Amino acid sequence: MPKNIPIDPIKTFSKSVLKSSGIPVHQYQKSIQEELKIYGKENLIELLRHMYIVREFETMLNSFKTKGSYKNIEYIYNGPAHLSIGQEAAAVGSAFALKTEDKIFGSHRSHGEMIAKGLSAINSLSRNKINSIMETHHDGKLISYIHKNFNNTEFNDAEMFLLIGVLAEIFMRELGFNKGMGGSMHAFFTPFGAFPNNAIVGGSSGIAVGAALHAHLKQNKSICVANLGDGSTGCGLVWEAMNFAAMGQYKNLWPKPFNNNPPMLFCFMNNFYAMGGQTLGETMSWDRLSRIASGVNPEQLHAETVNGSDPLSVADAVIRKRKILLEGNGPALLDIECYRFSGHSTTDTNAYRSREEIKHWKSFDPIELYSQKLLDADIINKKNLDNIIEKVQNQIELLTSKVVDRELTPSIDIAKKPTIIGDFTFNKEVNRISKTADDLLMDINQVNQIKNMKKKSRYGKTSDGSLLSGMRAITLRDSLAEAIIYHLSNDKSLIAYGEECRDWGGAFGVYRGFADIIPMNRLFNAPISEAAIVSTAIGYAISGGRAIIELMYSDFIGRAGDEIFNQLAKWQAMSAGELRLPIVLRASIGSKYGAQHSQDWSSLLTHIPGLSIVYPATPYDAKGLIATSLKSNDPTIFFESQRLYDKVEVFNEKGVPEEYYTIPIGKAVKRKKGRDITILTIGASLYPALDASEELINYKIDAEVIDARSLVPFDYDMLISSVNLTGRLLIVSEAVERGSFSNTIATNISRFAFNNLKAPAIVIGAPNWIAPGADMEKTYSPQSDDILDSVFRDFFPEKRVNKKGLRKDWNFLELAKKGF
Amino acid sequence: MTDIIIPNLGNEISEAEITEWLVGAGEEVEEGEVVLLISTTKTALEIEAPVSGKISQINFSEGDLVQVGDVVGQIE
Repeated sequence: MPKNIPIDPIKTFSKSVLKSSGIPVHQYQKSIQEELKIYGKENLIELLRHMYIVREFETMLNSFKTKGSYKNIEYIYNGPAHLSIGQEAAAVGSAFALKTEDKIFGSHRSHGEMIAKGLSAINSLSRNKINSIMETHHDGKLISYIHKNFNNTEFNDAEMFLLIGVLAEIFMRELGFNKGMGGSMHAFFTPFGAFPNNAIVGGSSGIAVGAALHAHLKQNKSICVANLGDGSTGCGLVWEAMNFAAMGQYKNLWPKPFNNNPPMLFCFMNNFYAMGGQTLGETMSWDRLSRIASGVNPEQLHAETVNGSDPLSVADAVIRKRKILLEGNGPALLDIECYRFSGHSTTDTNAYRSREEIKHWKSFDPIELYSQKLLDADIINKKNLDNIIEKVQNQIELLTSKVVDRELTPSIDIAKKPTIIGDFTFNKEVNRISKTADDLLMDINQVNQIKNMKKKSRYGKTSDGSLLSGMRAITLRDSLAEAIIYHLSNDKSLIAYGEECRDWGGAFGVYRGFADIIPMNRLFNAPISEAAIVSTAIGYAISGGRAIIELMYSDFIGRAGDEIFNQLAKWQAMSAGELRLPIVLRASIGSKYGAQHSQDWSSLLTHIPGLSIVYPATPYDAKGLIATSLKSNDPTIFFESQRLYDKVEVFNEKGVPEEYYTIPIGKAVKRKKGRDITILTIGASLYPALDASEELINYKIDAEVIDARSLVPFDYDMLISSVNLTGRLLIVSEAVERGSFSNTIATNISRFAFNNLKAPAIVIGAPNWIAPGADMEKTYSPQSDDILDSVFRDFFPEKRVNKKGLRKDWNFLELAKKGF
Repeated sequence: MTDIIIPNLGNEISEAEITEWLVGAGEEVEEGEVVLLISTTKTALEIEAPVSGKISQINFSEGDLVQVGDVVGQIE
């Protein structure tokens, strides 16, 4: 809502017609002689050789999958093989046009693109640079293996390094580029500009945009490419990503030199089939894939449809788009029409396409066409061509014979290192805050909202013990703001975005005043595109940046489901720890807005391995824990309860320190000592539990109250020692009871503290139905009376106290049987 | 006589601080004119005159805390 872009009703309602400038389709017309002048003979032949390498590599995999052997090598490969036989011109042509520093992000069908990018990088990089890359990668293990096993061969060791790195990764071996943790669909090797491939259709689109944003903010004159399939045009994230890269604010509102669009190329490898669904004419609405660009911006993303059976047509288009992007006029879209002769996967029986169609396309085999073109133009002769083919086949056969050998090229021995995958999941690194921010718009201490915070009491109570208003003492909202602005105003690599994050100051006011301090290129309003918000942060982070993003309500996590569950949570482990995702995702737990705005989804996310999960309940903890989250190099989900934003500090008598501090994630805190029962609370449940514990004193029950503060990792030590003393455990949270993290804790305590338990651990959460509207909300989140009822019913029935809560007469077994 | 009232300030917010009166008692104001700035724990807000007329009474001073629904001034 920038005030300098007024929405004028007169202009809005004036009569006009939106015009399209047309989208070029197969306009490439250069002759081979013209191309020869541009590239030279050697490069044109090299392009052909790269296509043969990709073809032979994929043919080898196909042969293993379908016959269990390739030439004389027998091997059973159990993993996936989404092959791109027939699409080599698209992969190689594109890679030929890109520079090493350009980043490509792929799909499940991207072995070829990755190999082509690597081969192109090897041809461009200096020998010294290549040596240094090979020697530093995994402590030089792969290059030592190559020198040991292929020393006296005719093959370039860097090419062997690339091809073995990819093949060993596909075969899940430790020498693979990601130690076999990624496999066929997630392979990558960043030093050659081949960034993660993605097994989720369209998954790379937003990640690549985030990387393009990083390139843009670094002004490093490189571009980012998402290689996507035609089927991905049906995915919401792809549309979100296209819009995110094309947003008006870059040119309209961002300061110089960032007032241009991020250098982003959407490259659709359009083979007409999304697995077995035909995109053209069946599952999609477009007649040409490139048409979708006309729905995104007036420039129509500079879209073109190009001939993917001709590598020179593809290279020509990528070179032209790259130029547009580096001039700041992106994003761009290419619809590269090509055909895969191989099935979607090797179990594909071609039930969805005719033999005639496949046969017809065989006459457009890119390798045959391009070979013939070079032969016809006398750029290569038949003998040299045959030599190239034979050498490529020998190269692939030789390296394959070594990689299949499990003795020579083993997988990680999980039996020997049973928790190694867990070790890859979190890096536990703490980042030193760099004092790099030289771009602040204003001195922090001159900003009104910050000045107002400085006037407030740091502690929430007066000397006589009465509670101060949030207008007079630091609130949880203020304490978050203090730590976040500290990071943003020091570390220039940190960016913050989400819906209404800038002028509005975030929907709940945590960022109020920040717009006066942080320039727009580091604090901006995102579109209502939760998937792209998370996805772009991932791309930004794996490129070397740091991000704090906001999803407003945790209920909107569903909108970013794949991006949180399959991308944010998994890339560190899938890269065997190679990638770092220093991202803090803030999500508030709502109140008063009903079923789609009031859910505590902290439990839901604990079910997904790979995310740190933090949920503070006090201003002191919120400040220290958001600071730790921002310093962490692991992805962290930070839950905030809207009911707690105005809470003042009442536990730490020194109040919330004005200076910066951190609190370790994974440490719970004891809010009240007791010896009869342990009440563990998660998030906002702390307050009703404390009320209940005060009431219990009247019944001579001395409750110990522990505030979890973080769920992943969780402080089992403190809880076990408490339960060992009290012998009783009640866990309270606002998450729905069924399948909640509270139940996981209860089960674990039943194991780890069984000998000292006097009763089974009990869980109170929200009932297993929707959150009702504001006036009925107290029937949903556990109240003090609900906690008291449970204490008397489940732990101290002998006290014979009248129960007062709404759930006092519930038959929990009957409810469970009915599905509640 | 028309009251100037602290409006509903949104979810979970019940009070505000008087930041600044832009008009004084006795001054003439137009309907819709911003007469008062207030701030909550979450944001700053502008309060407009509900009718045209003369400010006849100011009930709270700058720095005072007020609750949603409080009559902070009157116009006649």
